[in-house]
Amino acid sequence: MSYKSDTRKLALPVQEQVMNNDNTLAYRPPSTEAAAYLGTGPVAAGPYYRDDYFALEREAIFKRSWLQVGHVCELPSPGSFIVRELEVAEASILITRGRDDVIRAFHNVCPHRGTQLVADACEGRRSAFTCPYHAWTFNSDGQLRSAPDFERFYVDKSQCNLKPVALEVCAGLIFINLDSKPAQSLRESMGELAGQLETLPVAQATTFTEYVYEIDANWKLTYDNFQENYHLRFIHPRSGGGGAVGPLNPFGYPERYGFHGEHRTQTIWSNPSPILSATQELAFGRLVPKLMAKGLMSSPHGREYYALYPNFFLIGNPVQHFSHTVLPISARRSRGVFRIYWVGADGSASERFGREFSMANLRDVHSEDRAVIEAGQRGLNSGALEYIHFQEQEVLLRHLMYHVNEKVEAYRAELAGNLAGDGK
Amino acid sequence: MNGKTSALPEGFESLAPFVEFWAADSAAGRADCRQRSDEEGRQAFYRAASPLVAAALDYLDSKSLPALDASEQRLMNLVLSFAHLAMAVELHREEEPRHARDRHFLRITRATADEPAAQTTAEEAQHATAK
Repeated sequence: MSYKSDTRKLALPVQEQVMNNDNTLAYRPPSTEAAAYLGTGPVAAGPYYRDDYFALEREAIFKRSWLQVGHVCELPSPGSFIVRELEVAEASILITRGRDDVIRAFHNVCPHRGTQLVADACEGRRSAFTCPYHAWTFNSDGQLRSAPDFERFYVDKSQCNLKPVALEVCAGLIFINLDSKPAQSLRESMGELAGQLETLPVAQATTFTEYVYEIDANWKLTYDNFQENYHLRFIHPRSGGGGAVGPLNPFGYPERYGFHGEHRTQTIWSNPSPILSATQELAFGRLVPKLMAKGLMSSPHGREYYALYPNFFLIGNPVQHFSHTVLPISARRSRGVFRIYWVGADGSASERFGREFSMANLRDVHSEDRAVIEAGQRGLNSGALEYIHFQEQEVLLRHLMYHVNEKVEAYRAELAGNLAGDGK
Repeated sequence: MNGKTSALPEGFESLAPFVEFWAADSAAGRADCRQRSDEEGRQAFYRAASPLVAAALDYLDSKSLPALDASEQRLMNLVLSFAHLAMAVELHREEEPRHARDRHFLRITRATADEPAAQTTAEEAQHATAK
């Protein structure tokens, strides 16, 4: 299946001031001119449920892109390790902080006969990693330390270290790339966004709150839900709190869209008169002074939404500074990991209360999303729709699909070229 | 009472009847309290606790978290449970049972309130960010 983008120019709204009935300035959606290259046509539905398309995404995207898998605060001292399962690539990744304080990633695979090295823990602290099968033992820098009766192997010890995986850190966030020679470094890929992320609390984070979910839905359909506010007033009429929507902006248009190669951003609109419950006021009233005291409320990018291709986003807002990574499992199943990043351990009862409320509040909102995303997937799975339609505010969804398809088509061409080469 | 004492610091004794059900000692446990609660239980705890939550935080703020004694920790856990409960009572109201069905799919796997005493983690944190 092939997806063709409609390259017609966007019909831009006339830029003029519109007044509300009460003479206040009406909210006007931002320009999407920078995304004109995406077109405005209908988008093929197949990539959101088809197994064959997912198989191409696996190779073209998830085995070649920088994937967010953790944060340096999970590896606080030499010997710390975490394990991440990436079902989409059928890979298990071991990430360690070595005795030299360097953070490295390896395939969690013993180079002897492929046994999964760490299968009994997903995090912890170890000075060495021993394969349960034949007791090959590796240092935290991946070097083979010892292997029983190794003299009778036909290979040099230096050839038996753990297989490294490319790893880079930006703003404390750990990214890996399963391509042994990534086409771009992480920072090359991120461009100016890297510097912006470094100004956010996540760059100083020492801890986080986390909740995870599995969902019967394609990774893009799941991720897309969080790229638009069009649904807020219908799906979150109570839990949303009116922060990003309001009478001036009932559909929650952002103030700005940004397109940065495969990545995208938006500046979230803030309702000047949000509706807060009594406990929201109490909790945020207790939390904000703590954030201010740590200098975390003054980032110039605190209202930004950063969507890093392919499957990670971060909200800059320091009060609910959360990220979401959507990990594909199959064409129609995914796992989502939400994290709220914090600087410093809970320093007082009020800070602890504010953080716990922040988590409870976000989890409520996100649980409402999960059900409706699954409903969307069920509809798509039927094959009833050949195309889906993106509205202007859904330009970020269109942008993701465009760049996913660009990679998939390039991979198809690569495969075709390889086949042609083989035939010569 | 499962052998669990319900004693609370002076001034907060009226919350003692809610300790057994609501004073869970982990974030996931507190979310589960809300999940298992019924409308009557939520309303009763909310009515009793809402006038006292700000005062309880002021009281607990006067001590460092690692220095909280058992009764104070119990009060802390109750107040944290209130953070979850308030979402049900103030926002979802009659929709809470339906909301609960969707919410339990989101499993809380880590929370700052569950971490060891602040002094230990701060030391590690300093090391982590120094890299």
